[in-house]
Amino acid sequence: MRLADALPAALPCLLLAARVLAGPPPLPAEHLTVEPLPPKSPHWVYVFDEAFDNEIDARVQLFDGDSFRRLGQIDAGFDPSVNISPDGATTVVATTYFARGSRGTRTDVVEFTDNRTLAVTHEIVLPTKRAQTVPTLFNVAYSSDAHFLYASYVTPAASFGVLDPARGTVLAEIDTAGCVLVIPSGPNRVSSLCESGRLLTVTLDAQGHEASRAMSEPFFDPDKDPVFVQGIPTSRGYAFLSFLGDVHEIDFSGPQPQFAPVWSMVSASERGQWRPGAEQVGAIHRTLGRLYVPMHRGGEGSHKDGGTEIWVFDTAHHQRVARWGVQAQGLSRVLAVQVSQDSAPILFAATDSADVAVLDALTGHVRHVEKHLGQTPWMLLNP
Amino acid sequence: MRSFDRLFEDSTRALAQRTSRRSLLGCLGRILTGAALLPLLPINRGGRASADELKADPSTPQSCQYWKYCAIDGFLCSCCGGTSASCPPGTVASPITWIGTCHNPGDGRDYIISYNDCCGKTSCGHCDCNRNEREKPMYRPSRNNDLNWCMANGDNSNYHCSVSVILGVAEK
Repeated sequence: MRLADALPAALPCLLLAARVLAGPPPLPAEHLTVEPLPPKSPHWVYVFDEAFDNEIDARVQLFDGDSFRRLGQIDAGFDPSVNISPDGATTVVATTYFARGSRGTRTDVVEFTDNRTLAVTHEIVLPTKRAQTVPTLFNVAYSSDAHFLYASYVTPAASFGVLDPARGTVLAEIDTAGCVLVIPSGPNRVSSLCESGRLLTVTLDAQGHEASRAMSEPFFDPDKDPVFVQGIPTSRGYAFLSFLGDVHEIDFSGPQPQFAPVWSMVSASERGQWRPGAEQVGAIHRTLGRLYVPMHRGGEGSHKDGGTEIWVFDTAHHQRVARWGVQAQGLSRVLAVQVSQDSAPILFAATDSADVAVLDALTGHVRHVEKHLGQTPWMLLNP
Repeated sequence: MRSFDRLFEDSTRALAQRTSRRSLLGCLGRILTGAALLPLLPINRGGRASADELKADPSTPQSCQYWKYCAIDGFLCSCCGGTSASCPPGTVASPITWIGTCHNPGDGRDYIISYNDCCGKTSCGHCDCNRNEREKPMYRPSRNNDLNWCMANGDNSNYHCSVSVILGVAEK
């Protein structure tokens, strides 16, 4: 074959060889975007991180219990209070900022975040009285129709602010005579826990001012067996657990709170030996009637020690139905629990190693452990 | 005495037949290792006591187990430039406090302790210690260690660390 004849035949091979030697084609240019959130899922959880080692920089992490992905973050300032609106559309953060970061003029503020974008939409500046304490559902809370937002104040004199979240205004301050926190019920009632073991309930008028108040009978003895302030939502109100393991279920659906008969999570032989302990000390699946509680073996003063086991109770029959050891599944002590409210529920458990475990809420099987989801994840919120 | 010597000799020989020097060394090693590790076991109350950096000797104010700290919650000022009863330089002491009663094993007395916070700087971040003897929830604020007791310090309400100040002997 002459060279002139061979060249056309060899050319494709030569071009291919040259292309191989030059490497694969370059990646296309990228266009910088902001990732949108995927559609809301009942298996999302908002993880409150106090960031205790650098407390002016607390945050809320949004985590997906199905994909095990961290979806985004809401900044939360210093020693904040966090809650979610009744429709799940808004995360509210009541927090404090100092003008120079860690020092300077103190500003207390409530910030509203759109849960579809995780962007702050607006804010309400508060008097510098906001309760700076560990997270509960009752530090800042919405009325049932979201018309009012209540912010707990402690200076240490106790009171609460009534806010209009739509108009961004502070409507009123209500003195609570030493009773603390804002337990919302209905469109216009706020209850507070009192040192005497009673509940103070304030009913508001349409302008958010006090219309009436009433004090309940004592429902617990703060000297002999205090209740944790971290109440757990039930179908008609909240359940409060005591240090020794009693369950106080309170119906807040009427004008005044109604107290159900107290039942115990521990047997007579377990009482005083096994007890609840955590920062968020229980979660209830309201349809299934299942109560999940971190439990540990310990004495007086161990009420903030996390659970070495999660005990599961049937709230209708007041019976324990499971004990799930968490250490055998590679987890350290559990400091916070939350359960999704769907028919295939997930139990989230935050540990004292700052891990967040995803468990099958029906079997206790650990599906995933997300390591170090923050520094000090002390409360978990459902969307 | 002769029979005692024989008994001791017999038991020693029997032990020597059952064990080797290596197993003895191994056993001693396990005991010594365990003894060395004991003081390092985590002091993990509430999940935050960063035990690794805390001195394990309960007689020192840098230890979370120090007797005065029986209801403290926060960073020990003695690890942050202060002492168990003084705030670090440049901070501001909180005028309001929570109160505990702690037993001093050194003299057998119970003491009333004022747990003040030191304020005006961001978290010290060292020697986090959370103990809760007779601690009560927020509805009994004078016994509650969850509140930021820098709250009344105005623009200096940032929390830095906590001290334990003896107020006096608790009367029985």
